[in-house]
Amino acid sequence: MNNIASLAAGLLLALPAPLFAQGASWKMDPAGSRLEFTATFEKAPAPGVFKEFDTRLRFDPDKPAGGSLDVTIKVTSADMAIPDVNKEIRTKDWFDYSGFPQAEFHSTDLRRDGGRYVARGTLSLKGVKQAVEVPFAWTPTGEGATMEGELTLRRGVFGIGLGEWKATDVIGADVKVKFKVKLRKG
Amino acid sequence: MLRNDIDSWGAPAKLFHWVMAALIFAQIALGLVAVSWHVSPTKLNLYVWHKSAGMLILALLALRLLWRLSGRVPALPAEMAAWERLGAHLSHFLLYALMIALPLTGWVISSASNVPFRIFWTIPLPAITAPDKATADLFASVHGWLVSLLALVLVAHVGAALRHHYVRRDAVLTRMLPWKTS
Repeated sequence: MNNIASLAAGLLLALPAPLFAQGASWKMDPAGSRLEFTATFEKAPAPGVFKEFDTRLRFDPDKPAGGSLDVTIKVTSADMAIPDVNKEIRTKDWFDYSGFPQAEFHSTDLRRDGGRYVARGTLSLKGVKQAVEVPFAWTPTGEGATMEGELTLRRGVFGIGLGEWKATDVIGADVKVKFKVKLRKG
Repeated sequence: MLRNDIDSWGAPAKLFHWVMAALIFAQIALGLVAVSWHVSPTKLNLYVWHKSAGMLILALLALRLLWRLSGRVPALPAEMAAWERLGAHLSHFLLYALMIALPLTGWVISSASNVPFRIFWTIPLPAITAPDKATADLFASVHGWLVSLLALVLVAHVGAALRHHYVRRDAVLTRMLPWKTS
Protein backbone atom coordinates (compact mmCIF):
# COMPACT_ATOMS: atom_id res chain seq x y z
CA MET A 1 0.00 0.00 0.00
CA ASN A 2 2.79 2.40 0.97
CA ASN A 3 4.64 1.47 -2.18
CA ILE A 4 1.64 2.17 -4.36
CA ALA A 5 1.09 5.56 -2.70
CA SER A 6 4.70 6.63 -3.18
CA LEU A 7 4.62 5.37 -6.76
CA ALA A 8 1.50 7.47 -7.44
CA ALA A 9 3.10 10.53 -5.80
CA GLY A 10 6.22 9.98 -7.84
CA LEU A 11 4.24 9.83 -11.07
CA LEU A 12 2.37 13.00 -10.19
CA LEU A 13 5.58 14.87 -9.46
CA ALA A 14 7.08 13.67 -12.71
CA LEU A 15 4.27 15.20 -14.73
CA PRO A 16 5.19 18.39 -16.55
CA ALA A 17 4.45 21.49 -14.51
CA PRO A 18 2.14 23.22 -17.04
CA LEU A 19 -0.49 20.56 -16.41
CA PHE A 20 -0.86 22.04 -12.93
CA ALA A 21 -0.88 25.64 -14.08
CA GLN A 22 -4.08 27.30 -13.11
CA GLY A 23 -6.21 29.94 -14.72
CA ALA A 24 -7.10 30.86 -18.23
CA SER A 25 -4.39 31.28 -20.79
CA TRP A 26 -3.91 34.70 -22.34
CA LYS A 27 -2.19 35.89 -25.47
CA MET A 28 -0.81 39.30 -26.21
CA ASP A 29 -2.25 41.66 -28.79
CA PRO A 30 0.95 43.35 -30.06
CA ALA A 31 -0.93 46.33 -31.53
CA GLY A 32 -2.22 47.46 -28.15
CA SER A 33 0.89 46.61 -26.13
CA ARG A 34 3.97 48.64 -25.29
CA LEU A 35 7.20 47.94 -23.47
CA GLU A 36 9.06 51.13 -22.68
CA PHE A 37 12.20 51.93 -20.78
CA THR A 38 13.56 55.22 -19.58
CA ALA A 39 17.23 55.67 -18.89
CA THR A 40 18.72 58.95 -17.78
CA PHE A 41 21.17 60.89 -19.92
CA GLU A 42 22.99 63.81 -18.27
CA LYS A 43 20.23 63.92 -15.62
CA ALA A 44 17.51 64.18 -18.27
CA PRO A 45 15.14 61.30 -19.08
CA ALA A 46 16.11 59.30 -22.18
CA PRO A 47 13.13 57.20 -23.28
CA GLY A 48 13.25 54.05 -25.38
CA VAL A 49 10.99 51.24 -26.45
CA PHE A 50 11.27 47.56 -27.36
CA LYS A 51 9.15 47.38 -30.48
CA GLU A 52 8.91 43.60 -30.46
CA PHE A 53 8.08 41.45 -27.49
CA ASP A 54 5.59 38.78 -26.60
CA THR A 55 3.71 37.87 -23.45
CA ARG A 56 2.10 34.58 -22.51
CA LEU A 57 0.13 34.35 -19.35
CA ARG A 58 -1.84 31.78 -17.39
CA PHE A 59 -3.72 33.75 -14.88
CA ASP A 60 -6.91 33.86 -12.87
CA PRO A 61 -7.25 37.27 -11.20
CA ASP A 62 -9.27 35.73 -8.39
CA LYS A 63 -6.75 32.97 -7.81
CA PRO A 64 -3.34 34.09 -9.02
CA ALA A 65 -1.39 31.26 -7.37
CA GLY A 66 -0.45 28.57 -9.83
CA GLY A 67 -0.40 30.95 -12.79
CA SER A 68 2.60 31.72 -14.92
CA LEU A 69 3.99 34.66 -16.87
CA ASP A 70 6.43 34.34 -19.74
CA VAL A 71 7.76 37.34 -21.62
CA THR A 72 10.24 37.28 -24.49
CA ILE A 73 11.78 40.54 -25.59
CA LYS A 74 13.56 41.07 -28.88
CA VAL A 75 16.38 43.23 -27.52
CA THR A 76 17.42 44.13 -31.07
CA SER A 77 14.10 45.93 -31.55
CA ALA A 78 15.15 48.61 -29.06
CA ASP A 79 14.60 52.15 -30.30
CA MET A 80 15.75 55.25 -28.44
CA ALA A 81 14.73 57.66 -31.24
CA ILE A 82 18.23 59.15 -31.68
CA PRO A 83 20.17 57.67 -34.62
CA ASP A 84 23.58 58.01 -32.90
CA VAL A 85 22.27 56.42 -29.73
CA ASN A 86 20.59 53.56 -31.61
CA LYS A 87 23.93 52.86 -33.27
CA GLU A 88 25.69 52.87 -29.91
CA ILE A 89 23.30 50.62 -27.92
CA ARG A 90 23.80 47.67 -30.29
CA THR A 91 27.48 47.40 -29.32
CA LYS A 92 29.07 45.03 -26.79
CA ASP A 93 29.28 47.83 -24.22
CA TRP A 94 25.48 48.11 -24.15
CA PHE A 95 22.89 45.52 -25.25
CA ASP A 96 25.31 43.51 -27.44
CA TYR A 97 22.79 42.67 -30.17
CA SER A 98 24.91 39.95 -31.74
CA GLY A 99 25.67 38.17 -28.46
CA PHE A 100 22.31 38.50 -26.73
CA PRO A 101 19.50 39.30 -29.17
CA GLN A 102 16.76 38.16 -26.81
CA ALA A 103 15.79 38.74 -23.19
CA GLU A 104 13.30 36.67 -21.22
CA PHE A 105 11.30 36.86 -18.06
CA HIS A 106 9.71 33.75 -16.54
CA SER A 107 7.59 33.60 -13.44
CA THR A 108 5.58 30.82 -11.87
CA ASP A 109 4.99 32.77 -8.69
CA LEU A 110 2.10 35.15 -9.15
CA ARG A 111 0.38 36.58 -6.13
CA ARG A 112 -1.93 39.29 -5.01
CA ASP A 113 -0.39 42.43 -3.53
CA GLY A 114 -3.10 44.70 -2.19
CA GLY A 115 -5.29 45.69 -5.12
CA ARG A 116 -2.53 44.69 -7.51
CA TYR A 117 -0.46 41.65 -8.34
CA VAL A 118 3.16 40.79 -8.41
CA ALA A 119 5.01 38.22 -10.50
CA ARG A 120 8.26 37.00 -8.99
CA GLY A 121 10.56 35.44 -11.47
CA THR A 122 13.84 35.48 -13.31
CA LEU A 123 14.91 38.01 -15.89
CA SER A 124 17.58 36.86 -18.33
CA LEU A 125 19.18 39.84 -20.01
CA LYS A 126 22.57 40.02 -21.71
CA GLY A 127 23.44 36.61 -20.31
CA VAL A 128 22.70 37.54 -16.69
CA LYS A 129 19.90 35.87 -14.75
CA GLN A 130 18.48 37.95 -11.98
CA ALA A 131 15.49 37.56 -9.64
CA VAL A 132 13.02 40.33 -10.41
CA GLU A 133 9.61 41.28 -9.09
CA VAL A 134 7.20 42.61 -11.64
CA PRO A 135 4.23 44.41 -10.08
CA PHE A 136 1.17 44.88 -12.26
CA ALA A 137 -2.39 46.12 -12.25
CA TRP A 138 -5.04 44.00 -13.95
CA THR A 139 -7.95 45.61 -15.76
CA PRO A 140 -10.58 43.44 -17.44
CA THR A 141 -11.82 44.97 -20.67
CA GLY A 142 -14.74 44.02 -22.89
CA GLU A 143 -13.01 41.31 -24.86
CA GLY A 144 -9.91 40.71 -22.76
CA ALA A 145 -7.77 42.43 -20.17
CA THR A 146 -4.79 44.72 -19.84
CA MET A 147 -1.87 44.38 -17.46
CA GLU A 148 0.12 47.46 -16.67
CA GLY A 149 3.01 48.20 -14.39
CA GLU A 150 6.45 49.58 -13.93
CA LEU A 151 9.62 48.58 -12.19
CA THR A 152 13.14 49.88 -11.86
CA LEU A 153 16.19 47.88 -12.88
CA ARG A 154 19.83 48.67 -12.31
CA ARG A 155 21.66 48.47 -15.62
CA GLY A 156 24.98 47.60 -13.97
CA VAL A 157 23.64 44.25 -12.70
CA PHE A 158 23.18 43.15 -16.31
CA GLY A 159 26.46 44.55 -17.60
CA ILE A 160 24.66 47.19 -19.66
CA GLY A 161 27.18 49.96 -20.01
CA LEU A 162 30.71 48.56 -19.74
CA GLY A 163 34.12 50.20 -19.50
CA GLU A 164 33.87 53.96 -19.14
CA TRP A 165 30.08 53.66 -19.25
CA LYS A 166 30.01 51.89 -15.86
CA ALA A 167 30.18 55.34 -14.32
CA THR A 168 26.66 56.43 -13.47
CA ASP A 169 27.02 60.22 -13.42
CA VAL A 170 26.40 60.61 -17.15
CA ILE A 171 24.15 57.64 -17.89
CA GLY A 172 22.27 56.94 -14.65
CA ALA A 173 22.30 53.59 -12.85
CA ASP A 174 18.53 53.13 -12.76
CA VAL A 175 16.37 52.31 -15.75
CA LYS A 176 12.63 52.52 -15.36
CA VAL A 177 10.70 49.86 -17.26
CA LYS A 178 7.06 50.47 -18.04
CA PHE A 179 4.66 48.09 -19.73
CA LYS A 180 1.10 47.97 -20.91
CA VAL A 181 0.03 44.64 -22.31
CA LYS A 182 -3.27 44.02 -24.03
CA LEU A 183 -4.38 40.43 -23.63
CA ARG A 184 -6.94 38.15 -25.23
CA LYS A 185 -8.06 34.80 -23.98
CA GLY A 186 -6.71 32.00 -26.07
CA MET B 1 31.06 105.24 -14.27
CA LEU B 2 28.21 103.14 -15.61
CA ARG B 3 27.08 104.70 -18.87
CA ASN B 4 29.19 104.99 -21.99
CA ASP B 5 29.97 108.51 -23.15
CA ILE B 6 31.46 110.05 -26.27
CA ASP B 7 34.99 108.84 -25.61
CA SER B 8 34.78 106.07 -23.01
CA TRP B 9 33.08 102.80 -22.24
CA GLY B 10 31.23 102.42 -18.92
CA ALA B 11 31.94 99.54 -16.55
CA PRO B 12 28.95 97.38 -17.68
CA ALA B 13 30.01 97.55 -21.35
CA LYS B 14 33.57 96.56 -20.41
CA LEU B 15 32.32 93.72 -18.22
CA PHE B 16 30.10 92.38 -21.02
CA HIS B 17 32.98 92.68 -23.50
CA TRP B 18 35.61 90.83 -21.47
CA VAL B 19 33.38 88.20 -19.86
CA MET B 20 31.90 87.31 -23.23
CA ALA B 21 35.32 87.38 -24.90
CA ALA B 22 36.58 84.83 -22.38
CA LEU B 23 33.43 82.71 -22.74
CA ILE B 24 33.59 82.77 -26.54
CA PHE B 25 37.23 81.66 -26.71
CA ALA B 26 36.52 78.90 -24.17
CA GLN B 27 33.40 77.98 -26.12
CA ILE B 28 35.25 77.56 -29.42
CA ALA B 29 37.84 75.35 -27.71
CA LEU B 30 35.11 73.29 -25.95
CA GLY B 31 33.24 72.78 -29.21
CA LEU B 32 36.34 71.60 -31.07
CA VAL B 33 37.33 69.23 -28.26
CA ALA B 34 33.76 67.85 -27.89
CA VAL B 35 33.44 67.12 -31.61
CA SER B 36 36.74 65.28 -31.81
CA TRP B 37 36.52 63.33 -28.52
CA HIS B 38 35.71 59.59 -28.82
CA VAL B 39 32.19 58.53 -27.85
CA SER B 40 32.35 58.32 -24.06
CA PRO B 41 30.84 59.88 -20.92
CA THR B 42 33.50 62.60 -21.20
CA LYS B 43 32.30 63.51 -24.69
CA LEU B 44 28.70 63.78 -23.48
CA ASN B 45 29.80 66.01 -20.60
CA LEU B 46 31.82 68.21 -22.96
CA TYR B 47 28.68 68.68 -25.04
CA VAL B 48 26.65 69.63 -21.96
CA TRP B 49 29.30 72.23 -21.08
CA HIS B 50 29.38 73.51 -24.66
CA LYS B 51 25.60 73.74 -25.03
CA SER B 52 25.22 75.30 -21.57
CA ALA B 53 27.91 77.89 -22.30
CA GLY B 54 26.17 78.65 -25.60
CA MET B 55 22.89 79.35 -23.83
CA LEU B 56 24.74 81.48 -21.26
CA ILE B 57 26.35 83.49 -24.07
CA LEU B 58 22.97 83.96 -25.77
CA ALA B 59 21.41 85.20 -22.49
CA LEU B 60 24.33 87.56 -21.80
CA LEU B 61 24.12 88.84 -25.36
CA ALA B 62 20.44 89.72 -24.93
CA LEU B 63 21.31 91.81 -21.84
CA ARG B 64 24.31 93.31 -23.59
CA LEU B 65 22.24 94.40 -26.60
CA LEU B 66 19.59 95.94 -24.33
CA TRP B 67 22.33 97.81 -22.52
CA ARG B 68 24.00 98.94 -25.71
CA LEU B 69 20.76 100.08 -27.37
CA SER B 70 19.71 101.99 -24.25
CA GLY B 71 22.71 104.33 -24.45
CA ARG B 72 25.33 105.67 -26.81
CA VAL B 73 28.66 104.17 -27.85
CA PRO B 74 31.97 106.06 -27.87
CA ALA B 75 32.81 107.74 -31.16
CA LEU B 76 35.46 106.38 -33.50
CA PRO B 77 38.59 108.54 -33.84
CA ALA B 78 37.95 111.40 -36.27
CA GLU B 79 41.04 110.61 -38.33
CA MET B 80 39.77 107.16 -39.40
CA ALA B 81 39.23 106.76 -43.16
CA ALA B 82 35.82 105.88 -44.59
CA TRP B 83 36.89 102.29 -45.40
CA GLU B 84 38.18 101.87 -41.83
CA ARG B 85 34.86 103.07 -40.41
CA LEU B 86 33.01 100.72 -42.73
CA GLY B 87 35.30 97.85 -41.64
CA ALA B 88 34.69 98.67 -37.97
CA HIS B 89 30.91 98.77 -38.35
CA LEU B 90 30.81 95.66 -40.53
CA SER B 91 33.01 93.58 -38.21
CA HIS B 92 31.07 94.66 -35.11
CA PHE B 93 27.79 93.89 -36.84
CA LEU B 94 29.15 90.44 -37.80
CA LEU B 95 30.32 89.79 -34.24
CA TYR B 96 26.85 90.49 -32.87
CA ALA B 97 25.15 88.53 -35.67
CA LEU B 98 27.43 85.53 -35.03
CA MET B 99 26.90 85.72 -31.26
CA ILE B 100 23.20 85.23 -32.04
CA ALA B 101 23.49 82.81 -34.96
CA LEU B 102 25.94 80.39 -33.34
CA PRO B 103 23.85 79.65 -30.22
CA LEU B 104 20.68 79.51 -32.33
CA THR B 105 22.08 77.05 -34.87
CA GLY B 106 23.47 75.04 -31.95
CA TRP B 107 20.02 75.02 -30.40
CA VAL B 108 18.58 73.72 -33.68
CA ILE B 109 21.19 70.92 -33.81
CA SER B 110 20.39 69.96 -30.22
CA SER B 111 16.63 69.98 -30.89
CA ALA B 112 16.80 68.15 -34.22
CA SER B 113 19.13 65.47 -32.87
CA ASN B 114 16.63 64.91 -30.04
CA VAL B 115 19.30 64.38 -27.41
CA PRO B 116 17.89 65.11 -23.94
CA PHE B 117 19.61 68.20 -22.56
CA ARG B 118 19.41 70.35 -19.46
CA ILE B 119 21.36 73.60 -19.22
CA PHE B 120 24.13 72.97 -16.66
CA TRP B 121 22.32 69.69 -15.84
CA THR B 122 19.37 71.58 -14.33
CA ILE B 123 17.12 73.60 -16.66
CA PRO B 124 15.51 71.60 -19.50
CA LEU B 125 15.95 73.40 -22.83
CA PRO B 126 12.78 73.24 -24.96
CA ALA B 127 13.16 72.02 -28.54
CA ILE B 128 12.84 74.63 -31.30
CA THR B 129 12.62 72.12 -34.15
CA ALA B 130 11.17 68.64 -34.58
CA PRO B 131 13.60 65.69 -34.35
CA ASP B 132 15.08 65.16 -37.80
CA LYS B 133 18.48 63.77 -38.75
CA ALA B 134 18.76 65.75 -42.00
CA THR B 135 18.05 69.03 -40.19
CA ALA B 136 20.61 68.18 -37.51
CA ASP B 137 23.27 67.38 -40.13
CA LEU B 138 22.53 70.51 -42.16
CA PHE B 139 22.71 72.82 -39.15
CA ALA B 140 25.82 71.09 -37.84
CA SER B 141 27.61 72.06 -41.04
CA VAL B 142 26.17 75.59 -40.94
CA HIS B 143 27.34 75.88 -37.30
CA GLY B 144 30.81 74.79 -38.42
CA TRP B 145 30.95 77.39 -41.25
CA LEU B 146 29.72 80.12 -38.92
CA VAL B 147 32.43 79.35 -36.39
CA SER B 148 35.04 79.54 -39.17
CA LEU B 149 33.64 82.95 -40.09
CA LEU B 150 33.74 83.96 -36.43
CA ALA B 151 37.41 82.99 -36.25
CA LEU B 152 38.14 85.24 -39.25
CA VAL B 153 36.21 88.18 -37.79
CA LEU B 154 37.98 87.70 -34.43
CA VAL B 155 41.36 87.88 -36.16
CA ALA B 156 40.25 91.14 -37.84
CA HIS B 157 38.84 92.47 -34.54
CA VAL B 158 41.96 91.73 -32.48
CA GLY B 159 44.23 92.82 -35.34
CA ALA B 160 42.39 96.12 -35.73
CA ALA B 161 42.52 96.76 -31.97
CA LEU B 162 46.28 96.20 -31.98
CA ARG B 163 46.65 98.42 -35.05
CA HIS B 164 44.74 101.19 -33.30
CA HIS B 165 47.09 100.91 -30.34
CA TYR B 166 50.50 100.33 -31.92
CA VAL B 167 50.18 101.94 -35.35
CA ARG B 168 47.57 104.64 -34.98
CA ARG B 169 48.37 105.22 -31.31
CA ASP B 170 44.77 106.17 -30.55
CA ALA B 171 42.62 105.24 -27.53
CA VAL B 172 40.36 102.65 -29.19
CA LEU B 173 42.05 99.70 -27.48
CA THR B 174 42.94 101.32 -24.17
CA ARG B 175 39.46 102.71 -23.54
CA MET B 176 38.11 99.14 -23.50
CA LEU B 177 40.71 97.93 -20.96
CA PRO B 178 39.10 97.09 -17.61
CA TRP B 179 41.65 98.97 -15.48
CA LYS B 180 41.39 102.25 -17.43
CA THR B 181 38.73 104.42 -15.88
CA SER B 182 39.15 107.65 -17.82
